[in-house]
Amino acid sequence: MSRWTLFFVVLLLGLGLGLLYGWVINPVSYQDTTLDSLRIDYKTDYTLMVAEVYHQSNDLDWAMNRLTLLKNESPLHTIEESLKFASQAEYTLPDMFLLRDLHNALKENN
Amino acid sequence: MDQNRGNWYLLTGLILGLLMGIVYSWVISPISQVDTHPSLLRTDYKDIYRLLISRAYQANNNLPRAEARLNLIGDDEPALALAAQAQRFLAEGGDHEMAVILANLSAALQSREAAENPPVHPTGTAAATDSPENTEENGENNPDNPATSTQELVSSQTPPPTESPPFILQESLPICDPTLGESLVQIVATNGSGDGIPGVAIQISLGIDPIEIFYTGLKPELGLGYADFSAEPGLTYQVSFPDSGLIVPDVEVPACQNESDESYWGSWEIYITHP
Repeated sequence: MSRWTLFFVVLLLGLGLGLLYGWVINPVSYQDTTLDSLRIDYKTDYTLMVAEVYHQSNDLDWAMNRLTLLKNESPLHTIEESLKFASQAEYTLPDMFLLRDLHNALKENN
Repeated sequence: MDQNRGNWYLLTGLILGLLMGIVYSWVISPISQVDTHPSLLRTDYKDIYRLLISRAYQANNNLPRAEARLNLIGDDEPALALAAQAQRFLAEGGDHEMAVILANLSAALQSREAAENPPVHPTGTAAATDSPENTEENGENNPDNPATSTQELVSSQTPPPTESPPFILQESLPICDPTLGESLVQIVATNGSGDGIPGVAIQISLGIDPIEIFYTGLKPELGLGYADFSAEPGLTYQVSFPDSGLIVPDVEVPACQNESDESYWGSWEIYITHP
C-alpha cells in the first residue's frame, strides 16, 4: 500500500473517531435554546399554561401569539399535538378540558 | 530521505482526521436542537416562560403547580428571579400589570417559605396549617393536580391588594443613613400584624405630574412590603397610594452629616399600615 493510500486510510479513521467524539461521546451542550426546541411534554405543559390563561382571559389573540412561539405550522396544529400527547400521558380531565376549550376556540377562529 | 521521515505522516493523517471530525460534529453539523429542557432556554425565552407561569398562576391560583413549573427553569431562587424580572420589566417601561403578576407569584412563594420557616417569620396558626407534610399530601410536586387545599391556603395568604382595607400613614420621616449609599424614598406597607404586603401601588409625583408608579414586593430580599425609589436631592416629591387615596406630600431628602462632619444626602422613610 502506498504512503498516500495509508495516509487517507488513517485520515478517514481519524475522521470517524472525531465524529464519534463530537456526536456521541461529547456532543455540543446546548444553551440558549428556543421554545420550539422543547421536548413534547414541556411543549404540552406550555400549551396548557396558555389554555389556563385563555380560560380566564378569553383573549384568543394573546393565546395565538404565545402558541406561535412554538413555531409549529399553526397554533391549531400546536394545540392538536398537545391534546394528543396529553391524552397519551393521561392528563387530568380538567386539564384536558382546558386544552380542548382552547382547541375549539382556535378551530372556530380558523 | 523517505525512510528518515518514518511514520509521522500516519500520525498527521490521524490528527487531521480527528480535527475534521470534531469540527464537523461540533460546528458544521451539530446534533439538532430538539427535545431540550426549559433550563436550557435563552434568557429572553426564560422570561417569557416565567411570565407565562405567573399568568397561569394568576388564572388558577395553584402555587404547587407554579412552583413545579418554575423549578424546570432551574433558577437558584425562583422567587428572586421573578422579582428581578418584574424590576427589569418596569425599568424597561414594560406593562405594569405584567410586573405585578410576576411580583405576586414571587410574593406567594416568599409567603410560603416564610410560613414553612417559623423561626424566621413566626406566623402562628398559619404556619401550623401550611406544614410541609400538608403540601406534600396535596400534591406539591404534582403539576397534574390542580385542585388542592393548598390552593385555598395560598389565596388566603396573598390577598389581592384591592380586597384589602385602605392604608393609613403610620410614619413619614427623613433619615440619615450613610450605609444606604444613595438617596432613597423607602416605603414599607404592612398589615395589622406587621407582615409586609406585596403589590401595593405607589405613585411618585413632582407637583401634579406623576413620574413613576411602582409596587411593593419587587425586592423580596428586603421584605415583601418594601419598595424604594431613587430620589434627587433638592426636589420635593409627593408619594401617593392610589388604591387607598392616601397622599404623603412634601417628601424631600434631608442634608445629613457623618461622624467626620462630611455632608451627604439622606433618605426618607414612609410606613403605611392597615388600621
